[in-house]
Amino acid sequence: MNLQKVNRREFLKATGMTAGGLVMGVTVPMSLHAEEGETGFHPKVFIQIAENGDTTLYCGRAEMGQGISTALPAAVADELEADWSRVTVLQGDGDKKYGSQATGGSRSINEFFIPMRTAGAAMREMLIKAASQSWGIPESDCYAELHFVHNKKNKKKLSYGELSSVAAKLPVPTKPALKSKDQFRYIGKPLTRHDQDEVVVGKRTYGIDTKIPGLKYAAITHVPVYGGKLKSVDKTGALKMKGVVDVVEVERIKSPFSSLGGVAVVADNTWTAQQALKKLKIEWDLGEHKGYDSKTYLQDLIKNVESPAEKIFSRGDVDKGLEEAATRHSASYTGGHLSHSPMEPMASLAWVQDDSCEIWASTQNPQQIQQVIAIFLGRKEEDIVVHVTAAGGAFGRKGKCDYVHEAAAISKAVGVPVQLTWSREEDMRTGYYHSINAQHLEAGLDKDGNISAWLQRAAFPSIGSTFNPSLDRANERDFTRPIAHPYGIANYKLESGHAPAHTRIGWYRAVYDIFYGFATNVFTDELAQKAGIDTLTFLRNIYDNNKDPVLAKSASRCRGVLDLAAKKGSWGKKMPKNHGLGIAVHYSYNSYLAMLVHVETKGDDIKVHRVDCAVDCGLVLNPDIATAQMEGAVVMGLSLSLREDVTFRDGAVVNSNYHDYPVLRHNEMPEVHVHFVDNDESPTGLGEPGVPTFAPAFINAIYAASGKRYRSIPIKPMSV
Amino acid sequence: MINLKINGKEHNLDVEADVPLVWVLRDYLGLNAVKFGCGIAVCGACTVHVDNKPVRSCVVPVGSLKDKQITTLEGVESDIAAKIKKAWLDLQVPQCGYCQPGQIMSVINLLETNPNPDDADIDDAMSGNLCRCGTYLKIREAIHVAAESIK
Ligand code: FES
Ligand code: FES
Repeated sequence: MNLQKVNRREFLKATGMTAGGLVMGVTVPMSLHAEEGETGFHPKVFIQIAENGDTTLYCGRAEMGQGISTALPAAVADELEADWSRVTVLQGDGDKKYGSQATGGSRSINEFFIPMRTAGAAMREMLIKAASQSWGIPESDCYAELHFVHNKKNKKKLSYGELSSVAAKLPVPTKPALKSKDQFRYIGKPLTRHDQDEVVVGKRTYGIDTKIPGLKYAAITHVPVYGGKLKSVDKTGALKMKGVVDVVEVERIKSPFSSLGGVAVVADNTWTAQQALKKLKIEWDLGEHKGYDSKTYLQDLIKNVESPAEKIFSRGDVDKGLEEAATRHSASYTGGHLSHSPMEPMASLAWVQDDSCEIWASTQNPQQIQQVIAIFLGRKEEDIVVHVTAAGGAFGRKGKCDYVHEAAAISKAVGVPVQLTWSREEDMRTGYYHSINAQHLEAGLDKDGNISAWLQRAAFPSIGSTFNPSLDRANERDFTRPIAHPYGIANYKLESGHAPAHTRIGWYRAVYDIFYGFATNVFTDELAQKAGIDTLTFLRNIYDNNKDPVLAKSASRCRGVLDLAAKKGSWGKKMPKNHGLGIAVHYSYNSYLAMLVHVETKGDDIKVHRVDCAVDCGLVLNPDIATAQMEGAVVMGLSLSLREDVTFRDGAVVNSNYHDYPVLRHNEMPEVHVHFVDNDESPTGLGEPGVPTFAPAFINAIYAASGKRYRSIPIKPMSV
Repeated sequence: MINLKINGKEHNLDVEADVPLVWVLRDYLGLNAVKFGCGIAVCGACTVHVDNKPVRSCVVPVGSLKDKQITTLEGVESDIAAKIKKAWLDLQVPQCGYCQPGQIMSVINLLETNPNPDDADIDDAMSGNLCRCGTYLKIREAIHVAAESIK
């Protein structure tokens, strides 16, 4: 951690704002790996208390609805003893000065929390010192509270605004004292988000909303198959349409985040551009993946996991363990491709001129935009100006800037600013999909019903294949989660099956944990039945059997959430006919999650009545936002368990819109109860960890209700 | 020339009659509370009121709107709408917020026609409005709170 005062010139250069009052720059450790070898002080976040008391945080992290821009300023404001209503957050443009700005992997909170608090505490101490000097009394006779420093002796007070310039002249304390948990004013409390007011009046500006003078509107159609390209296009019909400006061919460039390739129309409005696309006569060269059929491919994956594959990790002797087991059981599980389908489709505004390039986009990674556009234009990264707008959902998709590259390519071709908006259909068919996957699990139980051996084979196209197409199976990195899971199983082996990619694979909220969490938790439920042991007891035993001191804490936190979910959801209670409870636990993104799901089945009709979700994410920064994240995870989990399934035929995605890629609606929403484990562990992320436990708890509940065991999700795929 | 009455104002626009309302509101008039989500009336992001009824503006050609009153979230002024917005803020409903203008437009109509909706009424009125972030529970709660405050 590094904390320094920032002078007027540096501040202006970094934020474009005039410095006044007290300005502090904070570097955070997470940026170190991105900029090894960087010397000197390069603040990533700026905190300013202006002379009128207004307190502003300038930071570079994208806000996607997870409320990061509340959690982090709350950490500063709490230690600073600021008045929350005086604190605003300004989103920085894409720039290396903010460190890595990529959002994802629930990283933001983990890496910023302590640095932000320390900065707030240091500023508070400086303000107190400034007040004590002006009153000529010892610091111990002063205290800070809600934007004022108070004089204990005579009830006088000085505002932070009045003190800011004096404080700015004082040295920065090296070890400011942080509050203890019971002193928190904002951390761990529900807190109003400052960005909500504009949402309810429709004034929040997303990537799709940005307007500048002279703007034209574009729509695009992409090559339907990954790796294909344009052979020819007859533009005549489109160009004849009233309101059409031009037709532009967009080519793929050498970057995994570039356009897939396509043809765009520029027009006076988006609709005309969309209609003109239909008038184009296009011939594609579909390339090597034109035979991709996801249904057939999934059968191949199953074959590949039901025979020996490449060893990734092992401890003990699984073969011997299986041989000597009292009981054995095996099963295979599958899941399909998923599309992020955020409500705001991919959209970006670009204006490329001879000597400048300006971009507006909802993005999870503005620096990647700079890199890709710099390659495309043959210019320097710092010459690409990226304005980050609010994102209408992202879930990992907006961490890839193919749509921004396209907007820039189109703007460059037509010489005017262009707002490119993908249709929903293009969004559905031109994704970076969650991996299709198959897993095979085999386990041995000893005579007491403890797991003595566990073999898990997984085959799925790796995200790495998007960068390195020759990668034809998942590697050790892709197995991080099952390697780290604190199962107390002595003989344990993980294998990776052959799975070359035939489409772009990308990060999807919770990534591989979705299928790892699914298969392991359904399998343990099956094993519990086989052993004739109650599933909760069976799961507890797995963690209690972990005698590795290094993993003891992790195992006990898994048990902790299991017990909490079981208690709150009344595990073991007598259920009416056709009702059932299912439970699952998972450890991901440094957080621990257990869900207990109550379903009712009537033939093929399945209704989820209630979900109890137990969360151990260390210190809960904002219970409201944390709860909302869990509710969102349940929605996504139920959606992908029931119906979400991207199908490929002849190399192309068959689904087209929300009618054949149905995401959950109001009427299917179950009751959700979120319970937090109260502890003092450092805070961990919540954006992703909620997703993986839903599907298995749901599937186990269906089994409990009906005796029907599903091993593939979604269980009700649409036939497209 | 197409003549449209939007949020109480008249607009004469040089657009083709078949252009769906959503694109005229967004691309010509900058009324960006109206969101594009699907284009085929299955997501509700583009919900506006035409003569006080919620419609999906992505499938309504502007040529069909002669003499009709169009209202977007920017133009709603009723007491009911104010109560709804307040409930939305009190309960901190939005996550990314993108679907919320459409949700609110549907809720305004729900509470105008049914001041005391039960959960089934809410399901009926709201199931055409998707929220990928999953704010459904908060929306339901906020509808009940708003209904209560209108009484
Ligand atoms: S955009 Fe109109 S309903 Fe989806
Ligand atoms: S709040 Fe993000 S789509 Fe509803």
